[in-house]
Amino acid sequence: MLTFIFRRLVQAAIALFALLSVVFVLARLTGNPTNLYLPIEATRETRERFAEARRFNDPLHEQFLRFIGDALRLDFGESVFQARPALTVALEAFPVTLWLALCTMCLAAILSVLIGALAAYRPNGIFDRVAGVVTLIGASIPDFWLALVAILFFAVSLGWVPTSGLGGPLSWILPVSVLLVRPLGVLTQVVRSSMIGALSSPYVKTARAKGASPRRVVFVHALRNALLPAVTVAGDLIAGFLNGAVVVETIFGWPGIGNVMMGAIRQRDFAVIQACIVVVAVAVFVVNILVDLSYSRLDPRIRSRQA
Amino acid sequence: MYLKSVSRLAQGMAAATLALGIATTGAMAESVTIVLDTEPDQMDPCQTAKSQVGKVNRQNIVETLTEIDPVDGSISPRLATSWEQVDDLTWRFVLRDDVTFHDGSPFTAEAVAFSLERTMVEDLACETAIKYFTGFEIEANVINDFTIDFVTSVPMPIVPTLFSTLAIMGTATPIDAITRDPIGTGPFVLSEWLPGQRIVLEAFDGYWGEAPVVTSATYIWRTDSAVRAAMVATGEADIAPTIAVQDATDPAMDFSYVNGETTSFRIDALVAPLDDIRVRRALNHAIDREAMMGTILSENVIIANQLVVPGINGHNPDLTPFDYDPDLARQLLDEARADGVDVDTEIVLIGRYNIYPGSEEVIQAMLAMYQDVGFNVTLKMTDAAEWYEIVFKPFAEDRAPNVFQTMHDNSKGDAVFTIASKYRSDSNQSTTDSPELDALIDRAIAATGDERRDTFQEAFRMIHEDLVTDVDLFHMVGFTRVNPRLDFQPSIATNSELQLAQIAFN
Repeated sequence: MLTFIFRRLVQAAIALFALLSVVFVLARLTGNPTNLYLPIEATRETRERFAEARRFNDPLHEQFLRFIGDALRLDFGESVFQARPALTVALEAFPVTLWLALCTMCLAAILSVLIGALAAYRPNGIFDRVAGVVTLIGASIPDFWLALVAILFFAVSLGWVPTSGLGGPLSWILPVSVLLVRPLGVLTQVVRSSMIGALSSPYVKTARAKGASPRRVVFVHALRNALLPAVTVAGDLIAGFLNGAVVVETIFGWPGIGNVMMGAIRQRDFAVIQACIVVVAVAVFVVNILVDLSYSRLDPRIRSRQA
Repeated sequence: MYLKSVSRLAQGMAAATLALGIATTGAMAESVTIVLDTEPDQMDPCQTAKSQVGKVNRQNIVETLTEIDPVDGSISPRLATSWEQVDDLTWRFVLRDDVTFHDGSPFTAEAVAFSLERTMVEDLACETAIKYFTGFEIEANVINDFTIDFVTSVPMPIVPTLFSTLAIMGTATPIDAITRDPIGTGPFVLSEWLPGQRIVLEAFDGYWGEAPVVTSATYIWRTDSAVRAAMVATGEADIAPTIAVQDATDPAMDFSYVNGETTSFRIDALVAPLDDIRVRRALNHAIDREAMMGTILSENVIIANQLVVPGINGHNPDLTPFDYDPDLARQLLDEARADGVDVDTEIVLIGRYNIYPGSEEVIQAMLAMYQDVGFNVTLKMTDAAEWYEIVFKPFAEDRAPNVFQTMHDNSKGDAVFTIASKYRSDSNQSTTDSPELDALIDRAIAATGDERRDTFQEAFRMIHEDLVTDVDLFHMVGFTRVNPRLDFQPSIATNSELQLAQIAFN
């Protein structure tokens, strides 16, 4: 087990280094923040002095070596625009994204298993067809549109919930619901199709033959075997959310990491971009480890192979 | 059964929301919530010329020596009580003697000298210094606790105007680093800044002036204009200083005002065939400005003949717009062609995404109008970083002739903040090299009173009629949504500052 985690740790470190190198170079390809920071009235000399003082004009390899050296000491530099440590900016925003992702994914997992399993129980039955259409719509609806319509309907017309912002429990309803729609659609489809496969397998027939109740057959015998693909897809979806649910965060004004990262990219605020990438990469690494570990919980064959 | 329980749930939620509303209304009676389009990056006093910082900070947390009237551009006292020009290079300011900073330290001439010194520190790259205190040296001489002299390296008749931009800060402000904790003298103190979420200002007990009606203000930010408008409509916010024209749907709440911004296209008159004035006139006559009003832009925008709005000292009210006359445009092109000017050279119309709401539709319309009169034009859209590569000198030697989309903001009362950086031939954005215009600009900058106004007006006439270096379009309007419980009138200043002390309740 420990060797497994160690091996993954080494792989992750290599991947992170490669990712950071690419981000470092790509971010600088389009210039530096000087022109975006200074007013249009600034003279050429002022611009040059500004860039010089912040060492934007140093050769790229020198900047990179300095960045790696500092990063190893967990120093990711200062945000040019916010005049405070970039890591603080990233770490402040990340919990918001994390909670949003966790809430959404927990709901998506529970609901998709229920709906997917019930739909698979009678393929092409009424419930399956309705669920199929609804989840397909859910998986393909543009979230910015859904978010704005939801605000206009539930917050402005009905006045049930606040339009936006991070506050009490009511303020979570709209963002989580909007964010939930797509993963719920995707996951339900995955659960349904792998359940249909599982329900026609020999061990399910055996279970039915020995007189197990339909509920037991679906939720105990078939579901456990049908979950592996769903866990893989769910892991992917979570990893995607940890990059920030940019659209939802932006429209609802949630101070998550997606929002912060988009702003930093627009401003060419290199230090913040890099700090965010590292924080997100570490989180994605942890999620992947958890997904791998849950495989071995769910499937004894993988457990024995890892051992 | 199912329906019943849903409706019961809905009733329950509505009741809960109502209860929350009632519970908070009492406490909110004298507090306001303002929803901005973006979170300020900083709160440093020397950055209040950045509009997102100024909207929260200027005249709320920090104050200035003088203030400009947003309507007529006149100057009134704030932290200074009076000022006079002692000689060509020296201005003497007398300061209020009853003011204290938020940290308890007294407001004196020393603090004013410190504020000027810190704002000019090069490494801080202060917006106020770069925008307004460039091109000359200025030094502060403390005469006594409440009298201070400013000595400039060249005659500067607009020193009182300049000091409407310089925020006065306490001497405990770090001189070598940007601060997030401004120490000012204003009616409000910064009491909370939760990055990403909100900024809260509370009334300052020791304020020297009349205590404002508002006791506390919360600033929040939403990127989407529709959301900002919805927040005022639902009562979650009281003021949304900028909303898009398509969201300004309720005349009872939405105010439109000339916001100090002027949109135009800069003609690169240094490159053929745009160096021929007939071609530049044709570029102007080909545009149907009226067709854009009330369609892709607000019907309230004003057709512009120069880069400054009415009310700014130096605005020339006697200029007339170029008529929309496609036939005349074609005729001008034909005349130039007959004289050997290669008018069929490809001209690039350079636009910038989101430079203002509707900017992409404007440039698309212009492209079609130019093609209609026979210009060989192509469209190139840029993002902000790419746009900045083109706007400044040195211009690329091998550049194609271009017509360049710009947006200029001057709500600071005087044409110098526009004309010096845009048109003087040695400035970093100018596409002309007219010695006559340079001489006129220099004379205007050194002049005072009526002579200053007249000379700037003559400069704008020359630019508009003799040089034709721009395709002037519109003085823009902003829309602010204000909750009817408030008595607040947005103005040209709302773009750069929002004085909480000017808010009252109905």
